[in-house]
Amino acid sequence: MSEQAAPVIQINGLSKWYGSVVAVNDVSLEIYPGVTGILGPNGAGKTTLLHMMTGLAAPSEGEVRVLGQEVRGNPQLYRRIGVMSEHDALYPFMSGKEFVALAAKLQGVKSEAAVDQAVEDVGLTEAKDRKVGGYSRGMRQRIRLAATIVHDPEVLVLDEPLNGADPRQRIHFGELVREYAAGGKTVLISSHILEEVESLAGQILLMVSGKLAAAGNYRTIREKLDERPFKVRVVASNQREMAAALLANGVVESVSLEDDAIDVLTGNIGEFQTTVARLAQETGSRLYRVEPLDDSLESVFTYVVQG
Amino acid sequence: MSGALLAVALRQAASPGRLGLILLLALLPLGIAVILRVAAGGEDVIEVALDLLVIGLFLPISVMTVATTAFGNEVEDRTLGLLTTKPAPRAYIVLVKLGATLAITAPLSAGVAVVVTLLGDGESAARTAVAAGVGAALGALAYASIFTWAGLVTSRALGFGLAYVLLWEALMVSLIDGARFLSVRNYAKSIMQGLEDGSLDVFTQTPIELPIALAGIAIVTVVFTYLTVRRLNRMDVP
Repeated sequence: MSEQAAPVIQINGLSKWYGSVVAVNDVSLEIYPGVTGILGPNGAGKTTLLHMMTGLAAPSEGEVRVLGQEVRGNPQLYRRIGVMSEHDALYPFMSGKEFVALAAKLQGVKSEAAVDQAVEDVGLTEAKDRKVGGYSRGMRQRIRLAATIVHDPEVLVLDEPLNGADPRQRIHFGELVREYAAGGKTVLISSHILEEVESLAGQILLMVSGKLAAAGNYRTIREKLDERPFKVRVVASNQREMAAALLANGVVESVSLEDDAIDVLTGNIGEFQTTVARLAQETGSRLYRVEPLDDSLESVFTYVVQG
Repeated sequence: MSGALLAVALRQAASPGRLGLILLLALLPLGIAVILRVAAGGEDVIEVALDLLVIGLFLPISVMTVATTAFGNEVEDRTLGLLTTKPAPRAYIVLVKLGATLAITAPLSAGVAVVVTLLGDGESAARTAVAAGVGAALGALAYASIFTWAGLVTSRALGFGLAYVLLWEALMVSLIDGARFLSVRNYAKSIMQGLEDGSLDVFTQTPIELPIALAGIAIVTVVFTYLTVRRLNRMDVP
């Protein structure tokens, strides 16, 4: 990636609102060749942002340029862009190969070899003549990916491409994307699972509540997440002794005694997990339950934003 | 590219269920016309079977059944994005969709109109039948543009279509003076009457001049096709 090179995707002050609901709020960013992950909880505005990047939705405010051009109302630009939406959109009456061939024809690709190659790239050669209506969710995702890459676009925009994929398919997808990006192309992948884009994306953009909350490589984002305090609920017998032992040990930052549980805040979740069992033994307490209270993505992202 | 897009549009438009429904609907005017022919020597075929059942019912309903799904199903199935992220101008996509709808509905409407007219008792049956076929086909063109637009702007296009056919075309046009100049049904009937020599004078609606009827069809088609293209250009594709 070269910061001196012109950005492949350039977004300035982009906003989108539906009535009083703000889906994307004043986002500015630049995307360069390589793999970029857009990460955020459901409802963070990732899909709306991608829709505006690909010309499917009109911005309420701001500007999007892809490969130096306006994307909205510029259909010829789609010869250089491949777009795979999050929706399971297929024509069920077509076979896998027919579906990819349709995409190829609509893109002006005449070579049948390109169609076969795209189908092979996603590992569906054996199933290519079956109707896509009978495909599994993972197979449908893969055939849609084949249809997206059949014209060998310079920019690939994939919205939640790993939905429904099993671990083997995820590995295969990762190889495909890395190979694609290695050729100097730009791949943009959205996901609501950090680990999903961990091994793929050199650059991660964090979206929260319609805003670009953070941008950086995986290590930077991961470190921020690991630093955050976790709320954990402990249900045990001898609650007061357990609470005192936890505080005395120093593994928790605070303790609050609820009716039938202890809620603790810890800055080191790993150490807490090993310590809590030992302390239970030492205080003669019986541990019934240890559960995270705020391990949702929303809380993680919110922490990153506030941090 | 055109062949691929048209092939998909035709395959979507001509789903077995939809075609079966239209063919079943066609049996109504054809059956009534046959009964009138056998029982009364063809008397009232034009008034009842052609005017009321073909032009008033089969033509708009069959076109509506196909045209509202041209974009309606793409929006509902979220496949519209597959088409709009391809290097094809959106006007082109609209024209192909309209073409696919017409490729199915125009011959069917014209065919039913021709057969029903031939079952009547007119003296110049062949000429009248051709006039009926042309009028029905041009009516299908105007209806297709209206219902294709409706399928893109509302998820309740069928409800809109039924209200339009039953309330406007069937009721309001007969009640409001001058509204006949704003009726696709009346355009179709006036074209039929303008192209033949008097067998269709039994039509209840007062006809309008042939050039005005032809202009009406052209204006409706152009305006609603333009509105569909504009909508497809401006909408946020789901």
